[in-house]
This record gives sequence, structure tokens and C-alpha cells, in this order.
Amino acid sequence: MSGGALKLEHVSKRFGGLKAVSNVTFEVPASSIFGLIGPNGAGKTTVFNLVTGVYDFEGKISFFDKSLSGKKASHIAKMGIARTFQNIRLFQSMTVIENVLVACENTRRAHLGASLMRSPLFFQDEANMRKEALRLLSIFKLDAMADEVSTSLSYGNQRRLEIARAMMLKPKLLLLDEPAAGMNYGEAEGLKDQIRWLRDEFKITVILVEHNMQVVMGVCEDIHVLDHGETIAHGPPSTIRKDPKVLAAYLGEEAEEDEPVELPA
Amino acid sequence: MMAWYKRAGVSVALLGVCIVLELTFHLIVPDTAYRNLIQLALVNVVVALSLNVINGMAGQFSIGHAGFIGVGAYTAAIIASNIHKSLGERAETFQNSFLVMPPAIIAAALVAGAFGFLVGLPSLRLKGDYLAIVTLGFAEIFRLVIMTSPPGVETGGIRATIGQLGGPQGYSGPDRYGVAQYAGPFWLFGGVIVATIIAWRLKFCGWGRALRALREDEIAAAAVGVDPTRYKVTSFVIAAMGAGVAGAMWACMRDGNPSVQPDQFNFALSFDAITMVILGGSGSVSGAIMGGLFVTITVKMIEQLQRLDVIEAWKVQHPDFDLNALRMVVYAVVLIILMIMRPAGVFGENEVTRFRKREPAQAKA
Repeated sequence: MSGGALKLEHVSKRFGGLKAVSNVTFEVPASSIFGLIGPNGAGKTTVFNLVTGVYDFEGKISFFDKSLSGKKASHIAKMGIARTFQNIRLFQSMTVIENVLVACENTRRAHLGASLMRSPLFFQDEANMRKEALRLLSIFKLDAMADEVSTSLSYGNQRRLEIARAMMLKPKLLLLDEPAAGMNYGEAEGLKDQIRWLRDEFKITVILVEHNMQVVMGVCEDIHVLDHGETIAHGPPSTIRKDPKVLAAYLGEEAEEDEPVELPA
Repeated sequence: MMAWYKRAGVSVALLGVCIVLELTFHLIVPDTAYRNLIQLALVNVVVALSLNVINGMAGQFSIGHAGFIGVGAYTAAIIASNIHKSLGERAETFQNSFLVMPPAIIAAALVAGAFGFLVGLPSLRLKGDYLAIVTLGFAEIFRLVIMTSPPGVETGGIRATIGQLGGPQGYSGPDRYGVAQYAGPFWLFGGVIVATIIAWRLKFCGWGRALRALREDEIAAAAVGVDPTRYKVTSFVIAAMGAGVAGAMWACMRDGNPSVQPDQFNFALSFDAITMVILGGSGSVSGAIMGGLFVTITVKMIEQLQRLDVIEAWKVQHPDFDLNALRMVVYAVVLIILMIMRPAGVFGENEVTRFRKREPAQAKA
């Protein structure tokens, strides 16, 4: 395994009196699929928000050895961190392809002046971006609905569109916030393959926040467990599955006294 | 993509249309009042197109557009009148307008754009009502600063300089003979054509797309690399520049008001501009054009109606009756009907043509 793609060192975040994330340290190896789990309110999504520059934070976060402190969200996106959201956040009134095209803003070569003049560069740019967008949409099986308004898509398609939009950034690191939410067993199985495929095809690192243990245990190579903003465990799925602290956090205190329980494989 | 010769052809044709209109407009519409109405409508179309960038495309809410128009109008009036003076105050001919209007329009756009930048900065932290108050504050400050600085009261300092703008009486040229009125139909129609092309191209390019994305969801847009700061401030600057051009067209309008007065740029003008945008459909270029025309014509129609004998007689009987207030009633009724029939404005965010659909089809091939 190569060096760390993302490194959090003693990262904390406070919302008023509430410590949402407290002194969290972990390293995500490059090209790995990394799981960030924990019960509701554990601070998983907050970690994503800190990494992507939605909030500022205490401590140190570095992305391939470059510090993310004080960087704006749009700058972090440009550096190569893309994400999806727990509650789907598409540009609702825009079409499917427009949603994806917005992610080209950083690579667009035709600046405002060239766009207003409708210079050859503008048309070239626009055609290239559309080609790339359609290619991505066809990977996610959304190309047939490219010109439909994004809200008209089914829930599953909207989730896939969010990933397609994130991939348009050509990221090095993809943060997926509960991609399996609302999926049934079969769909979740499919998602596992899709995540692995994404990682291999685009050569990216994936961090997954997920409640669906079937997906987390099946796909993640490393798992970091948070509870009440604090780290309670870290390791490969096989050890996390049996970790008494994790079981306690998920199943309640009495779990520790019972016969050994395991989270589903 | 249009071939270059096609583009050149279209440009020449549009230029030709503007020149023909310049030479024949007074023959086509012989009545000065109606000619004025059409010219005012053209100015208002530019006003609506520019406000549409902030209130429609960017989804911000500015209720101080009159301020930017005013800045443009004063700037253009000063520049045009001074150039006119240095030209030896020859007749306001079409040939001379090419010496006067370009600098006046460019200066108006630049100065208004600079103010747009200043007002745009708070837009980064403020949203909705709070931003609206800032923009309104700007427009009112602009108007009141000029209103309360009468000429000749003080001899030095900032107030004296502002006093040269004529205070409440308005600015009417360096020698008070009136603002040079070089903006004939060529400049007014030309202004509308250029503004429409720019508005259209802004909407249908990556920049416009990013701006709409920002309006839909700021966090998601930032997460895919759209810098909210840059886009929001740029949208303010562009809208202010457009308003500045509209102000220049208005101040220098042929047969128009020979002086630029601060009270022309009051809240009612901002309100009219918002009505134009909302009526046509926020974010729609076609809608802004329609809104600009409709609002101007409604306003004038009510003014014309006031001259009818029946109304005159009625006004004598009821001195309290304010027909100008009726305009607001008409707006309200129109807007209420519209809200029920078409909640997103006449055009919504769409355009008259299906041009938008054609572009992706081309790229697919």
C-alpha cells in the first residue's frame, strides 16, 4: 500500500457547546476503500464536511501531504476531493447533463470573455465537456435521460447522478456519504461491485460513510469507527466486526455481556 | 457553431437595421410622445436584462437597481455633455454621436460596475432579505447624497464636488443647457440588441450554468469547484454594468428629459425593474424583454389615461385621488393574476425558442 491519501491529525470541531468531532486521527491509504462508520450523530458527516471545506476545524487535515486548513470548498474540490451528500443535493431545476457539466468549471478553458464572444475555443470546450459528461453518464447508465430535469429521476438514479457529477471533477479522492441509503439487499450488493469498480477504473481512493453493514464489511479494507465524535476503533473489517466497543456502540451496553455477537458479514 | 461569414453577415445586418432605424424612426413613428415611449421601453428592456442576471440567474435579490442606473445616467450625462461642449456644441448629429456615445457608455458601464463590485461584496455573507436591504441602502444613499448636496452651497471639498451634479434640480450639462442627447434609435436599438446577445450568451455558457448551480445549492456547487465569491461578485458587476449602460441610454436619450435628476432613481424605479423580471420569469432572457416592454407600456398607458377628459373631470371632483398610485394597483392585480396562472412568471426560466435543446444534440453527433 502506498502513502496516505488523506491524513487527519487531532481534528476537532465544536458547534457551540457540542463537540461534534473530537481529537480524531486517522490516515486513509491511497487507492484504498475506507469506511467511516458509527451510530447516528457520531460525527461521520461532519468529518466529510471538514475535509471538503464546508466548516473550518481545529487540528490538521492533509491531502497527499498538502494541508487543507483554511482552504475554501471550491479550492478543495479543485485539488481533487469530490463528494456526495447524505441527502441528495442536485441542482434541481437543471438537467441531468447540466448537473454534471457544472463540475467542469475548473477545467473549462474558455473564460467569461471567450464565452461571451462565442470564440472557437468556447465551442471546442463545450463539445469536449459534453462528450466527457455523456461518457460518464453512460457509465452510470444515465445517458438516456441526459436532457431530463434532474428531479424527474428516480431516487437511485439521482444517487448515481450525484456520483457521476462528483467523478466529473476527476477527483483523486471520493467521499461517499451513505450511498446505500434506501437500497434493498440486491441493490446494495450491486453497489459494492460499483464502488470497487470505481476505485479500480478511475484509480481513486474512496471513503465511505455508511450504515449498511453488508456494504461496509463487504467492501472496505480499513474501517474507522466514531461514536460521539470520538474514535472508538480502527482496523480491518474482521477485527471491527468483533470489537466489543463497536458492538456496544451499535447494539447497546448489554451486548458485551451476552454471547459473542458479530456484525453481519 | 456559426461559420464566421454567417456571423459577420448577421452582425452587418443588425448594424444595418440600427442605421436604418436611426434614419427612419421619426418617420415610422412621427408622434414624439410615442417615440419617447418606445425609446423608454428599450431602455427598460436593458434594465430588465441586467437585473435578471442578479435576481434571475444568480438567485440573489437586489432591490437597489435604480442606484446602478442612476450612477450610469450621471456618468454618461457628464461625459456626453462635456464632450459635446468640447465639440463646440455643434448639432447633435448621428455622425457626432460616434464621438460622444462610446466613451459615455463605456464610462457609465465602468463606474456602475465599480459600484456593483462594492455592493456585491456583502452578497457573499448576506442572503435574501438582508442582501435586499443592503442594495436598497446603496440606491437610497446614492440618491440622497446627490439630493442633499445643492450646487454652490459650499466651495471646497467633497460636498462641493457632488454639488456640481446639480443637487435636487438635477444635472443638465456643464453650462446648464441640458444634457447632450446623442442616443438616437441607433444607440437605443443597438443597446438592446447587444444587451440581449450578452444576456443570452451569459445564460447559455459554463458561467451561467455555474451561476444557476450556485443558486440551486451553494454547498453542492462549491463541492464541485464553483467558487461562490467569484461568481456572485461577478454577477453583481455584470448586472451593474448593464444597468449603467441603461442609465447612459436614458440620460442621453434623444428627445428625452434634458436633465438627470436624483429623484428619477428612487425606489419606484427599482420596484419597476423587479416587476419586469418577475413578470417575464426570473432567469429568462425572453421574459426580461417582455417584462421591460410590458411594464413601460402599462406605466405610460396609465399616464395617457390620466389625460382623458373623464378622468380629468373626476380628478377635479376628487383631488385626493392619485392616479399614479393606480399604477401600483395595476401591478398588484397583474402580479396576483400571474402568480395564480403562472407562478414562475410568463416564461418561467425558459426562452421563446428551443435553442437550448439544439446544442446538446449537436455535441452528440
